[in-house]
Amino acid sequence: MGGPFLLGEAFLLGLASGPACVASCGPVVVPSLLAEGAGWRLNARYLSSFLGTRFVGYLLFAAVAWELGALVSPPPAVRTLIYGGIHVLLGVVLLWYAHSIGRVCTHACAGSGLVSIGRVGKRGVSGAAVLGLLTGVSLCPPFVAAGLRAAQLSNIAAALLFFAVFFVATTLWFVPFVGLGCVRRNASVIFVARTAMILVALYYLLAGVAMLAGRRIYG
Amino acid sequence: MADAACTAFAGKTPPRTWSRALLLTLPIALWSLFMSLRGLMQPDRSLQIASALTAAFLIALFFMMMKTSSTYRWRRWFFVALGVLFPIEFIHNVMVLRGSMGIPIEEMIAGRTPFCFLPIPLLILPAALTKTLVFPGSILPGGGMAGSGMAAMVGLWLAITLVVGKGWCSYACFFGGIEEGMAALPKKAQWKKLDPRLRLVPWAVLLAMVLLSLALFEPAYCMWLCPFKAVSEYVAARNTVGLVQNGIFVVLFAALVIVLPLLTKKRTQCTFLCPFGAFQSIFNKTSVFDIKIDRTVCSPCVLCQKSCPTMSLTDDSIKKGETLMSCMKCGACVDACPKGAAVWHIRGTQVAVKPERARLMFLYVAWAMAAMFGGTIITQGLATILQRVI
Repeated sequence: MGGPFLLGEAFLLGLASGPACVASCGPVVVPSLLAEGAGWRLNARYLSSFLGTRFVGYLLFAAVAWELGALVSPPPAVRTLIYGGIHVLLGVVLLWYAHSIGRVCTHACAGSGLVSIGRVGKRGVSGAAVLGLLTGVSLCPPFVAAGLRAAQLSNIAAALLFFAVFFVATTLWFVPFVGLGCVRRNASVIFVARTAMILVALYYLLAGVAMLAGRRIYG
Repeated sequence: MADAACTAFAGKTPPRTWSRALLLTLPIALWSLFMSLRGLMQPDRSLQIASALTAAFLIALFFMMMKTSSTYRWRRWFFVALGVLFPIEFIHNVMVLRGSMGIPIEEMIAGRTPFCFLPIPLLILPAALTKTLVFPGSILPGGGMAGSGMAAMVGLWLAITLVVGKGWCSYACFFGGIEEGMAALPKKAQWKKLDPRLRLVPWAVLLAMVLLSLALFEPAYCMWLCPFKAVSEYVAARNTVGLVQNGIFVVLFAALVIVLPLLTKKRTQCTFLCPFGAFQSIFNKTSVFDIKIDRTVCSPCVLCQKSCPTMSLTDDSIKKGETLMSCMKCGACVDACPKGAAVWHIRGTQVAVKPERARLMFLYVAWAMAAMFGGTIITQGLATILQRVI
C-alpha cells in the first residue's frame, strides 16, 4: 500500500469523522474549558494540553491495537468492560476537576494557569491533560474505525503514522473551541460550568457502572 | 373621598365597569368559542360538555382579569387546571393505547413517542450538524399520540415564543401548573433563604443536556432527568438501570414539584431545574413585552421580590428597574406592588406610560395561546373525567 495514499486515507477518515469526535468529547471539553480562565491564550493552552495527551492516548492505543491485532474489535463483553471502565474514570476525574476548580477559584478564575487536579500548585496534574488522555483511549465510533484500519497495517510504524494523521485531521474540528476564550468569565459562568461538569460526571459514572455490571444503559 | 380612592389606586389601574370589561373580553370570548367548536360538534356528549365548560372557564377568567386589572390570581386558576388535567388526559390515553404508563424501547424505535416541547433545545445541535432529529417521534402529523408531528409543534412554539418570550412558561406549559398549585397552598413560606446561585442550575442542566444529547444521539433530559416522566410516560423498566431512571424521575418530581413548592412558595422545578425554561429565557430578549419597575414610584418594600415565583427579581435588578431574564411574565409582581411601580411594558416605549395598554396587548396574545394549547388539554382532561362520571 502506497504511503501517500495511506496518509490521505487517514486524513480523510479523520476529517470526515471529526464532527463525531467533537460531539463525543463535547460533554467533557466544553464545561471544563468554560470553567477555566478567560482569554485566547489560556484556552489555547488548555486545548494544547488536552489534545496533546489525547494524541498520546491515540498512539498508545495504536501501538496496542497493532500489537494485538484484534483488540479493536474484542468480544462485546470485553469491549463493554473497557468502555465502562473509561466512563467511570472520566466521571471520577470530572468530579475531581469540578472540586479542584471550587478550591482554586473563590470568585472568578482570573489566574493565568490551568486548573490542576490533585494537589493545588505545581505538583498537581493538569485536569485538561488527564481528560485528554482518557478521551484519547475511549472507544468512540470514529476511533474504532481508525483502529480497525490501523490493525490491518503491516508494521507498527505505519499504524502509529496512520493514527497520527487521523489525529491531526480530527484536531482541526477542535480549533473553534478556542473561541470559548471570548466568553466572559464571572462567578455565574464558573458555577454553571462546574455544575454541568458534575452532571456529566454523574451520567458517565452511572453509565460506566451499568456497563461494568453488564447492564444495558437503557432500561 | 376622591382623594382616598386616588391613594388606594396610586399608579394602579382601578377596577373597570362591567360593560367595559365585557367589551374587552369579547375578542377572547370569540376566540375561545372558536377553539371549542371542534369539541362542541362531536357526537360525544362528554366532549361537548367539556368543551362548553372550558370555553366558559377561559372567558370567565379573562373577564375577571379585565374587571379587576389583576392578572396573576386569575391566570393561576387556568394554569393549575392545565397542570392537573394534563396528566389525567395523558395517562388515560396511554392506558387505553398501551395498557401501561411505561414506554417500551420498541415503541421508541418505532417513533411513536408523543412529542413535547421540553427537548426542543436538545434537538438543535444534532439537527444542525448531522441533519438528524434525536427524538424518537414522528416529524410529520400522525406521529405520537397527540397526532401532531414535531414539525407542527416546533413551528407553533417558535412563532409564539418570538412574541411572548418566556411568557410561554406561564401560559402554555402544561407541566408548571402542579407546582404552582402546590406553591399556592401554604400561607407562608417555611424556607425563605434560598441560595441565589441555584437560579443558575437550569443553565448548567441545559449545557450538560445539550452536550450529552449531541454525544449520545438521544434526548438526554427525557431519558434521565425529566421529573414529569413520573406522571406521564416513564421507562418500561426491564433491568436495574430502568428502575434507576424511573427512580430519578420520581425523586425529582416529589422534591421539586411537590415538597419544595410547599416549603418555599416558589415554582422550584422551573426555577432550579428546567433546561427548557433557561433556553426560553433567551427569547425574553426578542419579546416586545417585559416587566419594568418604575423607580420614581418604587419604595423598595421588596413585596414584588417576595411574590415572584421564580426569583426573577433581586435587589440589584429592582435598582435597575427591571426583572432578570428568567421572568415568566406571570404578573405576580405587578399585582403585589402596592404602589403600582411594577408595570407591564412594551420595549421602545417609556416606562409606566399607559402600562395597562401594554398589559392588555400582552394578555390578548398570551390568552389566545393559552386557549389554543391549554384549552384543548383542559377539554380533553375534563372529557376524560366526565366519561367516567356520566
